[in-house]
Amino acid sequence: MVMDILLDVRELEPPEPLEKVLEALCVLENGQRIRMIHHREPHPLYPILQREGFRYETHFTDEGAFEILIWRSSPDN
Amino acid sequence: MLPIGLSFQQAPPISVPFRFFLTAPLFLLAAATLLLVEGPDLMVHRHSAAALAAAHLLTLGFSSMVMCGALLQLLPVLGGVPLSHPGRMAWLVHAPLVAGTLGLALAFLSGQALFFHLALIFLGTAFGCFGLWLASTLRKIRGGGASIQGMRAALAALIVTVSLGLVLAAARSSGLTIPYVPLSSLHPLWGLGGWTTLLIAGLAYQLIPMFQLTAPYPARMTSRLIPTLLLLLAGKTLGEFLPGSTGKALSLAASLGLDAGYLWFATVTWQLLSRRRRKVPDTTLQFWRLGLGLLMLSVGIALLAEVMGDGLPEPWLLMLGVLALPGFILCVIQGMLYKIVPFLTWFHLQSAYPGLGIVPNVRDIHARFHADRQLALLAVALAALAVSCWLPALSRVAGLLWMAHALWLEINVLQAARIFLKVRRVARIREAH
Repeated sequence: MVMDILLDVRELEPPEPLEKVLEALCVLENGQRIRMIHHREPHPLYPILQREGFRYETHFTDEGAFEILIWRSSPDN
Repeated sequence: MLPIGLSFQQAPPISVPFRFFLTAPLFLLAAATLLLVEGPDLMVHRHSAAALAAAHLLTLGFSSMVMCGALLQLLPVLGGVPLSHPGRMAWLVHAPLVAGTLGLALAFLSGQALFFHLALIFLGTAFGCFGLWLASTLRKIRGGGASIQGMRAALAALIVTVSLGLVLAAARSSGLTIPYVPLSSLHPLWGLGGWTTLLIAGLAYQLIPMFQLTAPYPARMTSRLIPTLLLLLAGKTLGEFLPGSTGKALSLAASLGLDAGYLWFATVTWQLLSRRRRKVPDTTLQFWRLGLGLLMLSVGIALLAEVMGDGLPEPWLLMLGVLALPGFILCVIQGMLYKIVPFLTWFHLQSAYPGLGIVPNVRDIHARFHADRQLALLAVALAALAVSCWLPALSRVAGLLWMAHALWLEINVLQAARIFLKVRRVARIREAH
């Protein structure tokens, strides 16, 4: 089992959260997930993920943050 | 794995906002040069020809220039309504705004009717095109948050400001008799306290929590402040034209309400910034703090003017103008510029060349600007200008400091354009191989 990549971007201002997640997507392995913790829902990220063949789930956590889990939708992309 | 890029279809090309951002400091430089040349003559009275020319170089040439450029870039993205024919639209607003601002400054300085006529035509074209675009775009956005509502109110205030300005300019050039005293006080009130401040407040609702990592503005403020300020501006206008004590009472009540509203915005924004989550130093935060402090001071002097009626000496009234225009408005707009310019540089490069590993990250772009030096120059230039209200002999020193400030800003925006062009050149070479 590959470890998740944890990206806590709550203390970063735009566009640094986007910069970080774009970098992480490039090195994301099959079966691995990015766990992004954000203080707001990153709406601009979603169309990029869909276009590039990633899947994601967003949850609102008890700490009052958004947790976005991202993984590859198929091994080929 | 292919590199991942951005694709916000709504964003217009970088040349659209940057032509406005690159031109604006040149008008600041022109206003500073005028202060250097005219010296104490400019500081004699707030309605002197040179003071009016300098004020319009700042309001039209700098603050409206930046705000038009920023809105042409931000509104299509925030509202999800693409800007059709962005290049043509930018040209239709930018070129006549440049020509009209220069024409109006020359008109005040020379007193020649021809320049007033030219200014009327060019500024009418610039704001006509911009206003029509803004109105049609805002109509297409369903609902919209507090920021969009702020833009709607700012547009209404812009229409009143420009209409009053056109009437005043037409009267000066043709000798038409108009109620000059109320119109000449309502025009700057709608321009600074309406169009500019309502837009700043509307954008702040979105940009302060996002870029400064603060809590959101309280809902009771975002839902009530801007519509109330707009109503109070209308009340003040009505009060100025109603005869007798009723008009005076309405005008005073509206002025006090406006002061309270501006103070509320300044206090809440200050508190939000004090409790921001991110504790690393940030110069743009200091631009905001300085601007908000100056807004509070200018409200204090405005209150004094309202209580004392016509009894407040001219240097205080000049000081009120200095604290509000080159003070609050320039500080806050530059605070926004130093966030928006690096962001847009990165955004457009990342969109165009995502996978070549040549796009600098946004922190590196920020680091090249030395915004702290800009802030220091601004603070010293403002202090010199404020002292010049009482000691006009110092005004040429203030002019020199403002020239240095304007040049530094221009160099920094040019630096952003240089970074963009350099990365684009490298990318094209790599793509060619």
